[in-house]
Amino acid sequence: MNIENTQSQMRKGILEFCILSIIRRGESYPSDIVEEMKGANLNIFEGTLYPLLTRLKNADMLTYRWVESNSGPPRKYFSLTEKGQAFYSELEATWKELANAVNALAKKTDSMPDTTNQNPSF
Amino acid sequence: MKKIININFQGRVIPIEESAYETLKQYVDSLRKYFANEEGRDEIINDIESRIAELFSERLKRGSACIADEDINAVISSMGRPQDFEETGAAAENANTYQPGPQPGANFSSGTYTTNNIARGRLYRNADDKIVGGVCSGLANFLHIDPVIMRVIFVILFGALFWIYILLWIIVPSQSLQTNITKRLYRNADDRVLAGVCGGLSSYFNIDSWIPRLVFALPLIIGLISATMNAIWWNWDFGFGPRIVTGSLSSTLIVTYIILWIAVPFASTASEKLEMRGEKVDLNSIRDTVKEDLENFKSKAEKWGQEVKQTAQDLGSRASSFGQTAGSHARGFASEAAPLARRAGSGIGHVIGVLFKAFFLFIAGIIAIALFAVLIALIFGGMAAFPLKNFILESPGQNVLAWATLILFLGVPLVGLITWLVRRIMGVRSRNNYLGYTFGGLWVVGWFCVIFFIGSFSRNFKVRMPVEDKLAISTPTAGKLYVTVDRSNLEYYHGDWFGFRFNDEIPVYGANMDTLMLNNVRVKIARSKDSSYHLTRVRLSQGNTREIAIKNAENIRFNIDQQDSLLLLPEGFAVSSTDKFRNQQVLVFIEVPVGKRIQMSDAVNHYSWFNINVNNRRGWNINYDDYNDDSYSWDSNTEYIMTPDGLKKTSELDPAELKNGRFKVIIDADNEKLHIEGDFEDKKNKNHYRYKQLEDSIKEKVKDKLREELRVKDSIEREKKLKEIIKTSAANRKEENFEDNEEPSASGSRILSPMMIFSDIVN
Repeated sequence: MNIENTQSQMRKGILEFCILSIIRRGESYPSDIVEEMKGANLNIFEGTLYPLLTRLKNADMLTYRWVESNSGPPRKYFSLTEKGQAFYSELEATWKELANAVNALAKKTDSMPDTTNQNPSF
Repeated sequence: MKKIININFQGRVIPIEESAYETLKQYVDSLRKYFANEEGRDEIINDIESRIAELFSERLKRGSACIADEDINAVISSMGRPQDFEETGAAAENANTYQPGPQPGANFSSGTYTTNNIARGRLYRNADDKIVGGVCSGLANFLHIDPVIMRVIFVILFGALFWIYILLWIIVPSQSLQTNITKRLYRNADDRVLAGVCGGLSSYFNIDSWIPRLVFALPLIIGLISATMNAIWWNWDFGFGPRIVTGSLSSTLIVTYIILWIAVPFASTASEKLEMRGEKVDLNSIRDTVKEDLENFKSKAEKWGQEVKQTAQDLGSRASSFGQTAGSHARGFASEAAPLARRAGSGIGHVIGVLFKAFFLFIAGIIAIALFAVLIALIFGGMAAFPLKNFILESPGQNVLAWATLILFLGVPLVGLITWLVRRIMGVRSRNNYLGYTFGGLWVVGWFCVIFFIGSFSRNFKVRMPVEDKLAISTPTAGKLYVTVDRSNLEYYHGDWFGFRFNDEIPVYGANMDTLMLNNVRVKIARSKDSSYHLTRVRLSQGNTREIAIKNAENIRFNIDQQDSLLLLPEGFAVSSTDKFRNQQVLVFIEVPVGKRIQMSDAVNHYSWFNINVNNRRGWNINYDDYNDDSYSWDSNTEYIMTPDGLKKTSELDPAELKNGRFKVIIDADNEKLHIEGDFEDKKNKNHYRYKQLEDSIKEKVKDKLREELRVKDSIEREKKLKEIIKTSAANRKEENFEDNEEPSASGSRILSPMMIFSDIVN
């Protein structure tokens, strides 16, 4: 068991939820999504974002609109569909449950100070 | 100093440094490979390219003259490399604390190429370059050899290594590996005579280009020599074994050349040329190649020296890799155990999936191989039978159809299949889809050719007509006719295409360019209606119309010769290429008078018989097997005698009786010995020679009588029992005194013995 693997699994799990929560607020351009996530201290490669968006789009969660750009080729702006909206709400509920549960468990461990002292092998 | 080129990227002209372009190209290729199995691959790549184009545009707007190496590196590090996606998962939250360790296959970091030595010491399946599970590719990477070689080994030892492959597939983890050998088979544009295949092969195998050229040209050279010798000495037979072997060898070589021509791409870019030569594709070597191209001259010694250096380097790196392998052996085991343990959890589903996939591929592979074998057999069979086409095909149109069928219907899928296999094994991505469409289209045309060909071909066999001749035959003095086949008739030594004589199983027993020898002959024995032998010859042939069929039949030369008691039949008959093969047949009827003998020699068995039936409602269908009813089956080398009841083996008859002009046969019917005897003169039915019917009727009558007898016996028994019951009841009552002394002898006398039955019938 290595730590990187566990960490990456954790990040992977919440990635879709993060992206959807950004797009939910309005039409977004992928590189803006990356910037916003960077701002929230969540680094993501654009190369990871594009396949994810394509997958979500193919699953009818997202839709996009071409917008002419004066720097380079036309841009794809993504927005949520109704299905995506429903999907997001479910994810949100799950996330809240999970966060509560995990926080509660983590706090519980904090409230048991005796364990480390009783176990000299640590 | 750097060269700047203009590229068309996402519909925009971008000036870019050549080295930066190579980096960009490699990067996009690595993405393409990474997303190879993703559903919306093209869309993803397109999105990423769009974004890159946008970044380039911004860069150029800010006043840069062109896109330089730094720009590319910046773009790549913001987009992320495939191994970043793989290893860091979807998002690297804190890039500072999380440094990806040396990743297998991560052989370039920040755009500068470092030597690729990371994948050493551990076996992975190659996720990037795979045909089935990437095992061969991974093994090849592990052993630093060409994946093609590994694949060829696995394909050849398919059966033995199948389970090893499956095992490795399940156990070994998959990784995106950068190939550590860069040699690939290309056609060499700089060194070519025809298509550059030989040049490419020579650089692939590192041999002089005249060697493959000689191999491919060999059949041509042999053919030329042979033809010259034939021209000088008419009886020169320049044979390397049967011609069918040399013929198929040369056609195999030609087909191989054409397939390589189609399947292997030209080495057109600098990096492809390097790959062809097996040199490392990096910036220095590309520059070297460009320089070489420009100067177009390089001293051989220098080249050789470089090669020696390369080999030494190679050996050195291999040795160090070995050392590293040994060193990290324990570590390797430990780290191997980790993914295994991880796998164990979700492993069952994975294993089942792999097994299922393997099974499917196994079956598909077997079907493909079988199909391949059938096609090869058909093609070579077709080629072998092609000299026979002169005897079958009539019009030039039919000839064209036959060729078209052979090439389009059989050749095209074969070439397509082999091309596909070669491309798969060589790892060449198909650049042009039109190749598939071309093959498909040609094959459809081939289907039409087959249908038309069969249609016009079967029309030639529509009608079957007989020509019947009564031939004069004198009664042999000994009263016995000995039938044999004159085998000394016709022999063909020169120009025998097949190089061997046919056995007796098929009706063709010899062929050369203008004559086909057939022995489609049947000899039948019937009973003569008078006291002399008769000989009837029926020549049969098929044809488009009745007239043509009759003409074909009349063209059969089958002369029967009699020398007193010896009847000599020819070995067969010849069909010339102008006559055409129309399933010519000959039936020989020998009518033997009662009391006379006949014997067939073993040689008569050499004849074969076969029919071509074209089911056509409009066609005439004369079944000459009607004659079967009038004739008797015979064994060769056995003396027969004609009796009023049909053909009998002399050995079955009583010799003493025979001398007196009488015959006596023993028939075994239902375990009852049935003695048949009689005169040779049949008084009752003079014209009755259907012995079979007669015999059947005898048997039927015997059975009837036996049944009757049993019934009578039964009734007597029953009567007896009844009487006993009556008697006992009468005795019990003591009222009536009924006596019945009647003996059952009267009814018993009605039972007929088989002897009597027979005499009833015969007399």
